[in-house]
Amino acid sequence: MRRFWWAIAAALIAAAAMSVSACGDDDDDGGGGGSGKGSAELTVASAGPDNADPVLFQTVQAVQVFQLVYTPLVTYAHEEGEGGTEIIPGLAEEVPEPTNGGKTYEFTLRKGLEYSDGTPVKASDFENTMKRLLKLGSVWSSFYSGIVGVPEFQEAGDFGGDIKGIETDDASGKITINLTEPDTKVLFALAEPYTAPTPAAKSPGKSLKQPPPGVGPYTLDVVDFTRKWVLTKNPRFDLPGIPKAKFNKITVNVSDSVTKMTQDVINGDADFMTEDPTGDQLPEVRAKYKDRYSEAPNPPNTYYFFLNHKIPPFDKKEAREAVNYALDSRALVRIFGGRLTPGCTFLPPDLVGYKNYDCKYGDPNGPPDIAKAKQLVKESGYEGEKVTVWTNNKDPRPAIADYYRDVLNEIGFDADIKTLDQQVYFEQVGLERTKAQTGFTDWYQDYPHPGDFIDVLLSTDSLQTEVTNNQGFVSDPTLDKKLDELRPKTPEEAADEWGALDEYAVNDQAHVAPYGYEESSSFFSERMDAQNCSGVHPVYKNDWLLFCVKE
Amino acid sequence: MASEPATDYAFQGGPGAFEEEAGHEEVHGLSPWRLALRRLKRNNKVAIVFGVLFLLLVAICLAAPLWANGPADTDPYKNHLTETIVIDGKKTNVVSLDGVPIGPTWQGKFFLGADTNGRDTAVRLLYGGRNSLLIGCAAALITALLAVILGILAGFVRGFTDTVVSRTLDVIWAFPVLLLGVALGTALSLGGLEIGPIKLGAGSKLIPILIIAIVYVPYMARPIRGQVLALREKEFVEAARAQGMRPSRIMLSEILPNLSSTVIVFLPLMVANAILLEAALGFLGVGVKAPEPSWGTMIGDGVKHILSGPHLAIVPGGMLVLTVLALNVFGDGVRDAFDPRSTVRMEH
Repeated sequence: MRRFWWAIAAALIAAAAMSVSACGDDDDDGGGGGSGKGSAELTVASAGPDNADPVLFQTVQAVQVFQLVYTPLVTYAHEEGEGGTEIIPGLAEEVPEPTNGGKTYEFTLRKGLEYSDGTPVKASDFENTMKRLLKLGSVWSSFYSGIVGVPEFQEAGDFGGDIKGIETDDASGKITINLTEPDTKVLFALAEPYTAPTPAAKSPGKSLKQPPPGVGPYTLDVVDFTRKWVLTKNPRFDLPGIPKAKFNKITVNVSDSVTKMTQDVINGDADFMTEDPTGDQLPEVRAKYKDRYSEAPNPPNTYYFFLNHKIPPFDKKEAREAVNYALDSRALVRIFGGRLTPGCTFLPPDLVGYKNYDCKYGDPNGPPDIAKAKQLVKESGYEGEKVTVWTNNKDPRPAIADYYRDVLNEIGFDADIKTLDQQVYFEQVGLERTKAQTGFTDWYQDYPHPGDFIDVLLSTDSLQTEVTNNQGFVSDPTLDKKLDELRPKTPEEAADEWGALDEYAVNDQAHVAPYGYEESSSFFSERMDAQNCSGVHPVYKNDWLLFCVKE
Repeated sequence: MASEPATDYAFQGGPGAFEEEAGHEEVHGLSPWRLALRRLKRNNKVAIVFGVLFLLLVAICLAAPLWANGPADTDPYKNHLTETIVIDGKKTNVVSLDGVPIGPTWQGKFFLGADTNGRDTAVRLLYGGRNSLLIGCAAALITALLAVILGILAGFVRGFTDTVVSRTLDVIWAFPVLLLGVALGTALSLGGLEIGPIKLGAGSKLIPILIIAIVYVPYMARPIRGQVLALREKEFVEAARAQGMRPSRIMLSEILPNLSSTVIVFLPLMVANAILLEAALGFLGVGVKAPEPSWGTMIGDGVKHILSGPHLAIVPGGMLVLTVLALNVFGDGVRDAFDPRSTVRMEH
């Protein structure tokens, strides 16, 4: 009997040893720190897209996914650096020149286009997409408010209605867009993935839980909205100038822990992370993984606190100025782990129109003027006013909000914090009924045009949607009038005027409280070729089509 | 980590047990309380030491303002991100340019270092302890109150009332404590709680108190119900009935006093579990709301910097361990003192 038990024990030890050695073999073959998935698959760790509907998403994480699935009429070149700002043909045969004094854009669809499910692409599908975008209250709606008939369509609220300024002909594939006034940013906005046509039959006038087919290198399946999204290579995709899928499958694992994402990339369980390493992982990553980690102020971005103009205390200019005087970018640099460049302009460096004007509120690299801020709070008549600072739970945003709360208390307000989940945050603070007084926000360039900042975030037009990106509910007739003048001009033509308008918004009116520009990071697993294929893109942050595995 | 208390809740105490025990020791004329105290002093000095330790921890936390306004010269919410401090004659950033906070200085300011917002860890530890202890004790008291009411009602009235109460408790029991706590915490973290005239803001400490209190009610109410079921059949209750005493009076004057030892035995263990659950909820971001500190939220914030600032997680973690250990050892001692044969246990 005893011999029998010894035999069992020996067998168990042998089995354990074999399994350990098998694990070792896997590591050797996989070369990916144990992922063992080879070059055909890519795993991305991400905070996740904020919406499964291609016209309703808002975040940088989402655009990185959706641009792989939905190609618009025109699109941005898939090139790293400055080259990525070039608009190239997408589903349209060519990038149109505006006619009719800059008020008309005519596109012609390429012949024989098919969605990933084999359905032919029709010109009218584009109008259907635009109707969905406008009807469902996408935050991007304001980009297209200059199209003839858009305000009427939105007011009627009838999905079956017509947008007069969009004419389509399915037979010829022609799409004509008429604007009420010339607006150079419309073409940039039309290059965004949320304008990409999707089959009308599968894209009704309601929010979708599962993305419809598109024309893109990949198809998208939302396996579990809060946990897993899967992109699969679209074998039908073949558009000139746009790279085909390199990976058969891309798995996006959603997590709200940046720490876990970073650890996954270090271990090779994820090949790339859409977020930036924080906490003490940041110095570790910077020191130990230099060859696969990089930082760049890309896409151009601005970090600022929104100040709600509609409700106390920031309905008074003095209160808004007080915040600007009190902010200490040097403190915020520390919270960002050194990845923040202090600044006071609303338009970020590297964007056409950026003007490095003198900051009225003091040197962004110097100490704040707390005494002046306290005096302004007194003058505003809101001393002791209760203020709730809104933020979300993604690192380091809770810390940013806590710093801001402390500043507000120091200058005479009675501040506390409200923290929401990152996936619902921007939707909540963008609703007027939420009455968010002030809080964290940031903006990454959607397209290389200063209007993407000032027009989209500060104009009265941007308040037309139910959920707005103008979280401060700024409505300034002087600013609106100037925007009307600037819209027909190309960004390059009006660069100085955009800079002056930025100065007016920040220095003269204190519409917002900007404090700097973030250096975004790109962090890859060992098996990825981070040196040659980081895919750093000025519009998509990282263009996953450019990623590649080491040879 | 608090898990569900054991289902082994048969409490075999009661007045008979005290009398019997007293008889063995030939002690007459002593109340059960005095008897228990004597037994605790005589047989379980370790429990007394840990009880004193707990009181000491409470006293230290209550003295938080003395430390904050004195040597530390700050409050638990104040950010000192850009400040410097002189250590050994050398100027040092409270938080370095790449965001790493200073470690323990062993002097008045930043005695235990700073957190990533440059807040004084020692000060936050003491104020956080006040919050953790307040929530733990308040939640345990509310749990005890609800459990006694429900247990007596279910056990004494029986019938339909018993069915409703017991099944409701079963439903709560069916959820893992932490999961239920997180679900309730998440649901109430946005808009707070509003039931009729009762309004609690999302940041109110009453929210974690109520959540913890409610999720633990079944773990105390069920043993109490079991004990009441036994007590209602005792002669002294029958005598009260025969004298024409109303049921409500019997519950208050005959049943309730006989439950006191059970409640006393449960309380320290319940406080320990409530503190642990509060820490878990805080760690997961659904407990005490920022900027209020608690040991759980401090541990949660600290683990992100465990390499560069291990003190941020270790210090509040240590305090939590000490407090819970003290309560558990003391609670076990109290249980043994009241009834050495009791099998009441709460798992940790």
